[in-house]
Amino acid sequence: MLNSISYFAKLVAELAKFPGVGQKTATRLAFFILTQPQEEAEALADTIRDLKRKVHFCPICFQMTESDPCQICADPRRDRNLLCIVEEPQDVLAIERSHAFKGQYHVLHGALSPLDGVGPEDLKIAELEERLQAGEIKEILIATNFSVKGETTALYLARLIKPRGLRVTRLAHGIPLGSDLEYIDQGTVGRAIEGRQEF
Amino acid sequence: MHLQKLFFRNFRNFEKVDLQMEKGLTLLWGDNAQGKTNFLEAVFFLANLKSFRNSKNRDIIRWGESCCHISGDIMFQPCCKKVEVGVEKTGKSVRLNGKPVKSGRDYFGLFKTVLFSPEELNLVKGGPAGRRSLLDRAVFLADPDFLERVKKYDNYLKNRNRLLKEKRFRDELEVWTEGFLENGVRLRKDRITYLREFTPELKKNYREIAGTAENVDILYPGSEKGDEELGKDLREDLKKTREKERDLGYTLVGPHWDDPLFLVDGRPLRIFGSQGQKRSFLMAFKITQIQAIEAKTGKTPVLLLDDMASELDSFRQLNFFRFLSSREGQVFMTTTDKQQLARCGVSPSRSFQVCAGTLEEVKYERL
Ligand SMILES: [Zn+2]
Repeated sequence: MLNSISYFAKLVAELAKFPGVGQKTATRLAFFILTQPQEEAEALADTIRDLKRKVHFCPICFQMTESDPCQICADPRRDRNLLCIVEEPQDVLAIERSHAFKGQYHVLHGALSPLDGVGPEDLKIAELEERLQAGEIKEILIATNFSVKGETTALYLARLIKPRGLRVTRLAHGIPLGSDLEYIDQGTVGRAIEGRQEF
Repeated sequence: MHLQKLFFRNFRNFEKVDLQMEKGLTLLWGDNAQGKTNFLEAVFFLANLKSFRNSKNRDIIRWGESCCHISGDIMFQPCCKKVEVGVEKTGKSVRLNGKPVKSGRDYFGLFKTVLFSPEELNLVKGGPAGRRSLLDRAVFLADPDFLERVKKYDNYLKNRNRLLKEKRFRDELEVWTEGFLENGVRLRKDRITYLREFTPELKKNYREIAGTAENVDILYPGSEKGDEELGKDLREDLKKTREKERDLGYTLVGPHWDDPLFLVDGRPLRIFGSQGQKRSFLMAFKITQIQAIEAKTGKTPVLLLDDMASELDSFRQLNFFRFLSSREGQVFMTTTDKQQLARCGVSPSRSFQVCAGTLEEVKYERL
């Protein structure tokens, strides 16, 4: 049986596993939860449980979704000839906020990074090739980040896809170098999509 | 541009320094290992966000403390900017006028320093890595964005090396190689372009400092070539070393291996130069850097002279101090031998005795 101190310590240890959260922040968060009203803390616990039970990755585009396939993949109004490739699920949200893109998505779940041990086989690239095989997609917009990893991944994809005779474009620069799509304002993302260039 | 106020706490062996500063020459004198160089290092750190001694964060934090702070008010006519740096063992935070600074780009242009130190003389005397480092510091000073480009190249290089080491030679290596090539050529171009304007001035300054007709030069490999040719060359060199790099597991060519040759009368300075010639070369190199910044920005950088007087004979000293005294800017200078400076006619506007991490202001007449 855990005593009160170790319940607290256990939560701190769990929170400290979050990206960007250290021991100090984890302790502060745990203490905050402790001082919340009972319903609030339980609502948080329920939300976490629901998230894990109900949200998963779309088997087609690998965006997070509660339905199967996701709303975007299922939407008949979205352009099925146009596919946008991004690194992370958050990038889909950033592009959707801009309302500038009407096609479908493919989420790689990362970018090439030998130093972090990430190669093509660790990304959803085989799945991408399978989608392309179906023949419906005509244009690919590569929207990986403008970082060394993102640019290299873009080049890798372009070389992989171009021999299939598809049109391959890249987001226009105008997005600050090295920045993550996720943190760019909607207007800038919109302009980068409109101004996309042939790779 | 000059430092109007300088504050630091828990930096190396200093517990606290809080000074109003003036333009002109500030002299720091005292025995060895009392903290004179540490003082210069603090000013250097404030401008460059790193040490000139290749130190880690934890090395500059005072023994037994967890963090250190350096701040300064930098006067740009007509206004003043406040810069603050906090250093912990795991990282540092930078503020400009109270607001956090996110990228070096917004910071490095502000406040420029040129350092003269005996350590740098060792770079002139040593191998290609030291010469590259002297050159890169000079390019960075003229163009702070250069640092980002060096980091980018380094990133491609390290990733590429990892693939070579793990023997992953497929299509993945190809795309990392493309980024490596593009950024490697860019780096070579940056260095070559810088030297194109720098070298003629260096020759002039060397003759003045040394009082001779000797001809010095810096020869960067491929400097006579155009962009296209530089690109072709690196690609070609990579092809030639293909088998060997796969064998050894790292990249064998590129700007990180380049050797900028320092020459005197057509022969390598490192091997054939006298001590005096090497010293004059470094002096002339630094003077040229200062003049280039002045020409470009109209501002004199803050000069940090670490024990340079002892490195020069009286003739070179005189020429050197003549150059310094014709400057408008701010100079911090350390010495163990104040008499020697007096003989050169050096008259500081303020002077401090440094003793075991404390400063005591002394009237110059009493020196
Ligand atoms: Zn989907």
